[in-house]
Amino acid sequence: MSTTIEPTPAPKTHSMGHSMKRKEDPRFIRGHGRYLDDFTLPGMLWMSLVHSPYPHAKIVKIDKTAALAVPGVVAVLTGEDLAAHNLAWIPTFHGYDKQMVLAVGKVLYQYQEVAGVIASSREIAQDAAELVDVEYEPLDPVTNPYQSRDDKIILRDDRENKTNHIYHWEVGKRDETDAALAASDVSIKERIVFQRCHPAPLEPCGILADMNPATGRLTLYLTSQAPHAHRTVVSLVTGIPEDKIHVISPDLGGGFGNKVPVYPGYVVSAAASVVLGVPVKWIETRTENLTTTGFARDYHMDVEIGASKDGTVTALKVATVADHGAFDAAADPTKYPAGLFGIVTGSYDFPTAFTELDAYFTNKAPGGVAYRCSFRVTEASFAIERGMELLARKLNMDPSELRLKNFVRKDQFPYPSPLGFVYDSGDYHMTLRKALDMIGYEDLRKEQAEKRERGELMGIGISTFTEAVGAGPSKHFDIMGIKMFDSAEIRVHPTGSAILRAGTKSQGQGHETTWAQIAAEELGLDPQNIMVEEGDTDTAPYGLGTYASRSTPVAGAAIAMASRKIREKARKIAAHLLEAPIDDVEWTNYKFQVKGQPDHTLTMQEIAFAAYTNPAPDSEPGLEATYYYDPPNLTFPYGAYIAVVDVDRETGAVKVRRFLAIDDCGTVINPMVVEGQIHGGLTEGFAIAFMQEIVYDEQGNNLNTNFTDYMVPTSLETPHWETSSTCTPSPHHPIGAKGVGESPNVGSPAAFVNAVMDALAPLGVTHIDMPLTREKVWRACRQATTA
Amino acid sequence: MNLEYSGKESIPASKHAVWAFITDPANIAACMPDVVDSTVIDPHTFDAVVGVAVGPVRGKFKFHVVLDPQPGGDRLNMKISGGGFGSVVDLTAGADISAEADNSTTLDWKGSASMRGPVATVGGRVIDAQAKRVISTTFANVKARLSPAAVAEPT
Repeated sequence: MSTTIEPTPAPKTHSMGHSMKRKEDPRFIRGHGRYLDDFTLPGMLWMSLVHSPYPHAKIVKIDKTAALAVPGVVAVLTGEDLAAHNLAWIPTFHGYDKQMVLAVGKVLYQYQEVAGVIASSREIAQDAAELVDVEYEPLDPVTNPYQSRDDKIILRDDRENKTNHIYHWEVGKRDETDAALAASDVSIKERIVFQRCHPAPLEPCGILADMNPATGRLTLYLTSQAPHAHRTVVSLVTGIPEDKIHVISPDLGGGFGNKVPVYPGYVVSAAASVVLGVPVKWIETRTENLTTTGFARDYHMDVEIGASKDGTVTALKVATVADHGAFDAAADPTKYPAGLFGIVTGSYDFPTAFTELDAYFTNKAPGGVAYRCSFRVTEASFAIERGMELLARKLNMDPSELRLKNFVRKDQFPYPSPLGFVYDSGDYHMTLRKALDMIGYEDLRKEQAEKRERGELMGIGISTFTEAVGAGPSKHFDIMGIKMFDSAEIRVHPTGSAILRAGTKSQGQGHETTWAQIAAEELGLDPQNIMVEEGDTDTAPYGLGTYASRSTPVAGAAIAMASRKIREKARKIAAHLLEAPIDDVEWTNYKFQVKGQPDHTLTMQEIAFAAYTNPAPDSEPGLEATYYYDPPNLTFPYGAYIAVVDVDRETGAVKVRRFLAIDDCGTVINPMVVEGQIHGGLTEGFAIAFMQEIVYDEQGNNLNTNFTDYMVPTSLETPHWETSSTCTPSPHHPIGAKGVGESPNVGSPAAFVNAVMDALAPLGVTHIDMPLTREKVWRACRQATTA
Repeated sequence: MNLEYSGKESIPASKHAVWAFITDPANIAACMPDVVDSTVIDPHTFDAVVGVAVGPVRGKFKFHVVLDPQPGGDRLNMKISGGGFGSVVDLTAGADISAEADNSTTLDWKGSASMRGPVATVGGRVIDAQAKRVISTTFANVKARLSPAAVAEPT
């Protein structure tokens, strides 16, 4: 891989748009990052979990005797023990279901947590966990949602409704869509599966729970993308007043949505610390992370698109069956059980559309919205982008031409989609045309035609996705009732440096740099002198955290608005110091100046000093502000991606020869950070397209429990990424930014798959479900050849 | 994960000798490879601790073995259940025993194994190789113990 953007020194007083080197990197590069496992406390105990080998079984008996006899073992907790404290079940973030902490009565998926062993060392806890004797009575498992649908085996006896069906959700006009599809000249219908995969952050989840018996205060060092939300959940579940709970989320080694939910290991460790009055630590193993924590996708989508003969789309219908696992633990906003799947019309101007979804329980691990995905936007984008490719094939039309014909036009924004969103801005034609030019599309098609003449398989795949991110406006978006605003607090010190605290939590995104750049731009300060602090609920203002590409659209806006509050106060001080009417003082070129008097200026540093030494008579001393930003709408970043592949029909090997990503995320705060985000997301999209799947066999065995069986691409497999951008600023965001963290993972899988299907077109192959392993591609080639 | 095996083994001993040998838990325990400890519970039952090394799954598994000789002395059923390190293995097997004209005995056997947990993750190919090794070693040891010329101790 190579980077096209080189770091540049940021100007001292206006840094937006500059590739300033990341302020946090010297700490990480030198090994001075402080992650959860770096924390130890005096008298600390360790917790290890006992997991079920069965995917579905009654628990007949749990015998702790042998484990408790091990020297160093302090306690063994089971679901029954937690039930005595009303902690056996906890609500899911979704708010419509609950999940077991430790299994009570029966287990519902393989590796489900059954008991927790607390001991003086990690090794003793793990060894003793092996000695907890659990007697099971195996039950028949349900391993796919279509099997679940017939309700022959009811998985959740605890629920009032004795069905595996969790919910039905729909949006759009069913009858109108059906009629339009029936009347269409051309139509396609395909079942498109987005496989179950897992974000697999390199640092797994963990907790160090520290109950101080003297103060009654519980401190939780936690791998958390949403520390405030976790504090609130802990308070609601335990009854401990929220002021007695202190959550500290230290440096995180990746998250990708995996560190949003509340996991049993957290609850058991916290409960043990509360009961024992000593610190208790739990660090996941890799297998625990892959088998029990928040997975992604498992959407089975039936996609129908209608069009006229000239390629103008007439209708879209998508019916989805979703596998949610044992609990409905997908952390979607309360009013959006299927997340933002309604973005499935994508970048195209469908006259009408309808989508419906039915979710089911199965004997698999719960979760569903993780992995760099804004609440099911990834699934939706994959469905529409594969569907458009299939339609182009059916029409015998170039896929770029079909897209250009059907894009929402620039003059249609703000664009009300048929499924209820109002897209804020975009110029899809400009972005795709730029991508086609940059990659040399026409030449590639010529090369492809020549290769096909020689029997060689070369493919070109396009994906022109639109995301909906930045959840979200409080009138629509909440998690467990808490509105999805976010916050920033900025204190400018007397000497002109500052501290900025936000309700978000970086997992590697570079907030310490980009948040400082926003404030520096707004305040005319040096970004190097703005310290950014996140992840400590005692100091940071309340926020819903970092996931779903919401940090810049929501907290980034809060930072800009808090800065503007400070600037407004500073203006009063400036007027006082400049002895001018306030209306005559203007903010220009990063300074306050009296209108028409360019030599009569004050810097923010000068005003900051005055705020503490010579405040204006009619204002409070000091220079600080807090802002809670409630976005008026989501933001809609988009992009045009093109993949070029060569396929070896004899081995099934796919070589990604080129990949170009043109992203439009509105105003860019730091181009280098954005490019880094895109590189990471493309690499994860590449992994999903070609390598990653969590597979359960018919007996409910999870077959991908470690990095031998669940692939993470290294630099050897990862293609070279070419990146560029266009910019259509969000009209409602204070700085015009839209968010970008998830775009490459949302947009790239369809580009890869479309490219491979394009390569296999001469063989008549139209669709293969991801991951496109060598074996699958080879089988498709072989079947096509022998047919 | 389910695996199924079957085969025919010729033992160079009389049917009576073979039957007496294979229905004795102590003999079966002695012929199974990698057994580090065994305890005979009753005339048809024993517990065994077995060293297991299947890919990354390494350690000692505990198994409970029940022999179920059928009346008439022509068939032996066997059930093995146990596991370790979060894995569960259930195995059922049966052998039809018949005398041959040359005073040897044929075991026409069939077995199926069900695995759950980490051991199931390792993959059929690795487990298959291990299972075949266990089966062939066990029968080799039975033959060795029953062969008139046998002098070697079971491996």
